[in-house]
Amino acid sequence: MRMAALALKRKQWEPFAFASPSLALIALVIVFPLVYAFYLSLQDFDLSVGPDYEYVGGRNYVEALFKDRRFLGSIWSTAVIIAPSLAVELLLGLGIALLLSRVIRGRPIVTALLAIPAMVSPVMAAMAWRMMFGVKYGAINNLGRQLGILDVYFDWFASPAIAVTAVVLVEVWHNTPFMMLVLLAGIQSIPQELYDAAKVDGATPWQSFWSVTLPLLRFTMAVGVMIRLIDLTKLFGLIFVLTYGGPGSSTETVAFNTYLVGFKDFRMSYASALSYVIVGGVLVLTLVFLWIQRVREARAG
Amino acid sequence: MAIAIERPRVAARRANRYRVWRRVGHLLTYLGLFASLVFFLGPFFWIVTTSLKGNEDFFAFPPVWIPAQPSLGHYAALFTRSSGARYFANSFVISSLSMLAALLVSLPTAYSIARWRFGGGLLSIFLLVLRMLPAIALIIPIYIMYKMFGLTNSYLGLVLVYTVVYIPFAVWLLVGFLRDFPVEIEEAAMIDGCSRLRALVQVVVPIIAPGLAVVALFAFIATWNEFLFAVVLTGIETKTMMVLVTSFTSGGTDMFYGEASAAVVLGVLPAFAIAFMLQRYLVKGLALGGTKG
Repeated sequence: MRMAALALKRKQWEPFAFASPSLALIALVIVFPLVYAFYLSLQDFDLSVGPDYEYVGGRNYVEALFKDRRFLGSIWSTAVIIAPSLAVELLLGLGIALLLSRVIRGRPIVTALLAIPAMVSPVMAAMAWRMMFGVKYGAINNLGRQLGILDVYFDWFASPAIAVTAVVLVEVWHNTPFMMLVLLAGIQSIPQELYDAAKVDGATPWQSFWSVTLPLLRFTMAVGVMIRLIDLTKLFGLIFVLTYGGPGSSTETVAFNTYLVGFKDFRMSYASALSYVIVGGVLVLTLVFLWIQRVREARAG
Repeated sequence: MAIAIERPRVAARRANRYRVWRRVGHLLTYLGLFASLVFFLGPFFWIVTTSLKGNEDFFAFPPVWIPAQPSLGHYAALFTRSSGARYFANSFVISSLSMLAALLVSLPTAYSIARWRFGGGLLSIFLLVLRMLPAIALIIPIYIMYKMFGLTNSYLGLVLVYTVVYIPFAVWLLVGFLRDFPVEIEEAAMIDGCSRLRALVQVVVPIIAPGLAVVALFAFIATWNEFLFAVVLTGIETKTMMVLVTSFTSGGTDMFYGEASAAVVLGVLPAFAIAFMLQRYLVKGLALGGTKG
């Protein structure tokens, strides 16, 4: 027995040796580039001007946060897309999850079918919908004309308000399934006894929804919304394909704006500064997310 | 006497009303689910039928919803004229390689965390932050570095980025699977003279293989779906399906529908396959960012 214990004695270097390959790769491909990007953001490196650059301190950050109308506008555009998307995704996801929780037969297959949009790439989702919105050959105009609702070939991306609505619609189509899955898991983890007890006390289904389901689903909803919120701040592929930021810059999100500054204007330093502003925002949201997780664990424990 | 007859009647009426409401409730439930299925799957149905239409079907009015004579002509055109076959193969090769590499480096790390609590809580927070990190912050420095080392427009460059970006997710999921694995089994192997690494490879891996498959499939679909790195770092030879599909948008809102829809069908194929294979793990995987590149 003592022999065995000796043989199993942990070698000090082993944990680190096992972890080192991925830590080295993360250092090389994530940490170092991030440090380099921060260094760049303090220079005036602009590939459209030339390969030379010099130190300018915080000038790029001042420009981004106080002078750059287009970037500040893109923060607003992102918010205008995020707020309705999150609200609709939460409500629709909750509704469908509740419907699914009432069905026993065939639930796994229906759930899997409904989950498919969330597995598809944003680029493909946007492409399918862009074709659906197509002026002459799109499904929406064709269906509208066939049913007599539309009498012209409507251009859905001509006005900012309708373009934003279209982006929200596609985003809702793409990610409501995620919210649905998270909430369905949450609903299923609520013990049946609580509903039985409510029923014995004479609660109607509506009352048991308000005083059993919703309160117990609060943290699940918060976690789902936070994950979506953090991912929505990076909205890029969907915009790239669906509207390319237009009309004007009405659907230009922060990530898309940064991409244009970096890879259309080739202002590398300034794009790095913009990306650090986004990182700052995401970091704050991640801290909120961690805090919610903490509170949840504290309550559960 | 009258009262005694009345009572069961009231009860029966109440039961009846209850039954009617129940039925209405069921009807509404199925109606709601049916409507959801139409909304969420309708676009796929339309894209598939569009990809099978003949060219004259696009101009017809009333519109053709299901082509009378489905043809694979657009797929043939996509494969020959637009080099679709090549880009499909690119996507497949890049996704497969990244998936294998991510699994290979993540497994020992996850083992280290699961068995020795390597890094403590700090490492798991670090991994979470990495998962939340916007790719836009990495693409600029990586583009400049890749230009310097000539790694743009190469498989290696893209596979390297995808592998590393995927490590946090893979480690996270694998730690869960490894914690469920009874330590006694590998300790038994080690008492028999097996080294730690051999025990991991020969004892643990075969048993947690289903878990590894889950992580692998999520890694595959995430890489398959990734767009930002692909559009910046690939060139004419190394484009993926995601980049190819955006090339059809140049025709404005009325692009060439035939090939574009065929490309979308091929682009979403893995998502369909994997959604069904991973049913049980969808919540966990999606929540951690399994499909986001």
